[in-house]
Amino acid sequence: MNKTIIFAIIILMANFAHAQNEDSVFKDSSKIVDLTEVTVYNSKKVNKATDYFKSNQSATLEDIMSRLPELSLIKRGPYGMEPSIRNLSDGRINVLIDGMKIHGACTDKMDPVTIYIEPSNLKSLEVESGGTGSFSGSSIGGTINMKKDEPLLYSGKTFSGIVQSGFQTAAKSFYEGVQLNYSTKKFGIKGTTTYRNSSNYRSGGGKIIPFSQFEKINYSLSLKYKLNERLYYLADYIGDKGYNIGYPALPMDVGFASANIGSMSLSYSDNSKKLYTWNLKVYANSVVHKMDDTKRPNVPMHMDMPGESNTKGFYAEASYRINRHQKIDVRIDASSVFLKADMTMYQPGELPMYMLTWPDNRTNQAGIAAKWNVHVSDKSSFMISGRLDGINSGLVTTESKSQMSIFGYEKKRNDFLKSVSAKAYQKAGKNISIISSLSYSERFPTATELYGFYLFNASENYDYIGNPFLNPEKSIQAELTGNYRFGRSNIKLTGYYIHVLDYITGMVNPALSVMTIGAAGVKRFEQIKFADIIGAEGSLFLNVNKNVDVVSTLKYAYGKDSENNPLVAIAPLKSIVSVRRTFNNFYVQAESEMSAAQNRVNKMAAELPTNGFAIFHLRGEYNFAFFKLNSKAQFGVENILDKNYTEHLDWGKIPRQGRNFYIQLKVAF
Amino acid sequence: MKKLFLIVSVLFAVIMSSCKKDEVQQQPVINLEKIYEGSVEGTGLKVELYSKQISQYAQYSTFWIAVKDAAGNPIQNATINVVPFMDMGSMQHSAPVENPSASAVDNLYKFSAVFIMTGNWALNINITANSQTGAVSIPLNIQAPAKPKVKSFTSSADGSKYFYAYIEPTSPVVGINDMEIAVFKTGPMMMTFPPDSSMTIGLEPEMPSMGHGSPNNVSPVHIGNGHYKGKVNFTMTGLWKLNLDFMSGGTLAGEDQYFEIEF
Ligand SMILES: [Cu+2]
Ligand SMILES: [Cu+2]
Repeated sequence: MNKTIIFAIIILMANFAHAQNEDSVFKDSSKIVDLTEVTVYNSKKVNKATDYFKSNQSATLEDIMSRLPELSLIKRGPYGMEPSIRNLSDGRINVLIDGMKIHGACTDKMDPVTIYIEPSNLKSLEVESGGTGSFSGSSIGGTINMKKDEPLLYSGKTFSGIVQSGFQTAAKSFYEGVQLNYSTKKFGIKGTTTYRNSSNYRSGGGKIIPFSQFEKINYSLSLKYKLNERLYYLADYIGDKGYNIGYPALPMDVGFASANIGSMSLSYSDNSKKLYTWNLKVYANSVVHKMDDTKRPNVPMHMDMPGESNTKGFYAEASYRINRHQKIDVRIDASSVFLKADMTMYQPGELPMYMLTWPDNRTNQAGIAAKWNVHVSDKSSFMISGRLDGINSGLVTTESKSQMSIFGYEKKRNDFLKSVSAKAYQKAGKNISIISSLSYSERFPTATELYGFYLFNASENYDYIGNPFLNPEKSIQAELTGNYRFGRSNIKLTGYYIHVLDYITGMVNPALSVMTIGAAGVKRFEQIKFADIIGAEGSLFLNVNKNVDVVSTLKYAYGKDSENNPLVAIAPLKSIVSVRRTFNNFYVQAESEMSAAQNRVNKMAAELPTNGFAIFHLRGEYNFAFFKLNSKAQFGVENILDKNYTEHLDWGKIPRQGRNFYIQLKVAF
Repeated sequence: MKKLFLIVSVLFAVIMSSCKKDEVQQQPVINLEKIYEGSVEGTGLKVELYSKQISQYAQYSTFWIAVKDAAGNPIQNATINVVPFMDMGSMQHSAPVENPSASAVDNLYKFSAVFIMTGNWALNINITANSQTGAVSIPLNIQAPAKPKVKSFTSSADGSKYFYAYIEPTSPVVGINDMEIAVFKTGPMMMTFPPDSSMTIGLEPEMPSMGHGSPNNVSPVHIGNGHYKGKVNFTMTGLWKLNLDFMSGGTLAGEDQYFEIEF
């Protein structure tokens, strides 16, 4: 079939998005995907946006993110996909849980922070793109903040809960979840457990993908205590354990991974006061990650690669109302991140070979941010925000200093980062609003970019060496969004331009010899003059009639560096269209996911072109009473045509899941 | 509410104060072992020989001698000459040696010998002190080290045999290590081994099981007395091969030479 026609159709249908009101910059300063399911048992008031993003009850956070036009996912395994905002990822963006920093413990980025939150525990997902997303941390790409559900108070019921269970055929995977909430008027406690177990999955066409299995358990406990009408105390713990997680696109798997994430906070709100809300949080978390290749056949030399991260920090946020038209938000935060990873290789008859892959390092950060919101009139408002960060980073043990001295590095470094952005909202006519923004932001290099020691990049087949002399990356960005509302429908289109100065990228260093057997060479992180990403996103929410809705998203980005090379890992044109017909307590939803080919590839990164694809899904949901309990059954088939396909950001061109039938049951009491 | 603030701020202080923990590494203390004690025949002098370890190996070995008078008082300005000696029956030979300077440091005279093969050796020591002269012969059994630490090549530049001995690093670390070797030319009958200063040495470390090297090494250059000093970098622990090329006056005197070290 003719692809051009398909895409012409998509563009015509496209698109865009939330049913929410977007009357002011105040509300629109970030994109919030509300995933609260308070309306879920009332089939008449199903929150369509939620249902669209959360395609089914056992959807992972990755599934949800893949449906957001601002986000793309870099896939190395069936699990632990790394999010990117407008093709910027890793150190270029902040990925936070309730505003907390967490650093992965894997040198191969197998453990993005998003794996620690199960969507059933998620209240909302906030995505702030670009320099305007630097309020809660210096970044150039923006911030993804996962807001966790809090325990309920005054629920009318002292004891409530949800039990869920599901099965999917492609990976013979099980999903089991329990949530329990106990509450009084002053006090609420909530515990959750989610268990996932998945075998090697079947790709389109029938081939089983070896090393794509995983097992994972996630549990959380949170406690909310009402100190008085305005002040609440909240303590929260998340634990996550993964076992035998396969990464088919990498030479190693994860034997065991564990995370412990804890926080305590106080939050205050009183709308009658000038200082109408504030929030204080202290937190600590640690991640342990153990990679090995014991299960892989034909390994030239067996190796273990454990890593760990420890983070401590706090933040305080407050909002102050200057007058009826102006308010100011302030944030102060500090954090300290310790990282260490090493590698031991075993050659029979010789002593073990040991080295640090992330030589023990610590990065301390303290920052202050402010946001000034001005409501000029009903038709226009603007926001100006800025952030300053002081960062101190260095190696902390004799062992790590000794190892890195080979590359002439000893001293700690101190950096000062600045970000500033402006955003304006203008209503143009009855149905059209325009949001424009301009920003300058800086970001600190990652531990891998500074201190990484022969880290193997399986996608490029190069070993990577850190460069402690890198300067912070700087970025200038502009964004323009037009929103057109008609009836209960709307169309939103966004265009953006990202200019990154001192862009950090790997450059081949022929003087260095490879560490990884079979690698093509060694790259060192260096800075090129600049890189540009230009792109567009659109979304459409179309309310055809009382019972039929169409949700569609579209995105496209074009990236190149100062030498005119295409940037690596730029997702091609992609669109998702979803049409839903609602019946009384039942709905059916047909979806298409279409992606164009990506032929603009970075040859230096050994990137290969990717074919376009179109896949189709059919989903249904049925709400019913089970012994008078609110219950829900979800079922569907994904990739109906059993298409063998890969997305451009999938490492190693490992085909994705083939035809997959799923069924989920959920009972609430 | 005030109490809560207090709790939170105390917690915060605890968290932040626990953030700065740099580890300190201790320098190992060198302890010397006494490996011989005896008197110098025909004199009232006593001699004690010290080494870092009791067992002796075919390698660049450093010793310390204490010379004492009959009353046991240390003598500071003895003249000492050491000749390592091996009697193999069919032939006899010596080994490279670096004799001590005329005065003692901390009552000890330091010297080094390079045992070029394993077996039974003698350290023949001539001592002149307090206007007395005598000799002592200290037997030593020389064993093979885990990896060879003394090697030789016949120079294609002048046809002579050269011995080269590994000195540093003795305790290698992942990182930059001082590297030192000593080169000696074989004299007539293998009875003298004058230090060599003529070589240009090329150094290339390699991990044989993985096939990689390490960056930013500094090839050893002559610093005096046949000693050559440079830097060797190890990117990980394990078995390393230090490949050495010896150039003499523009010609390759000895190639494919190496030391292996494992740590
Ligand atoms: Cu890993
Ligand atoms: Cu190695």
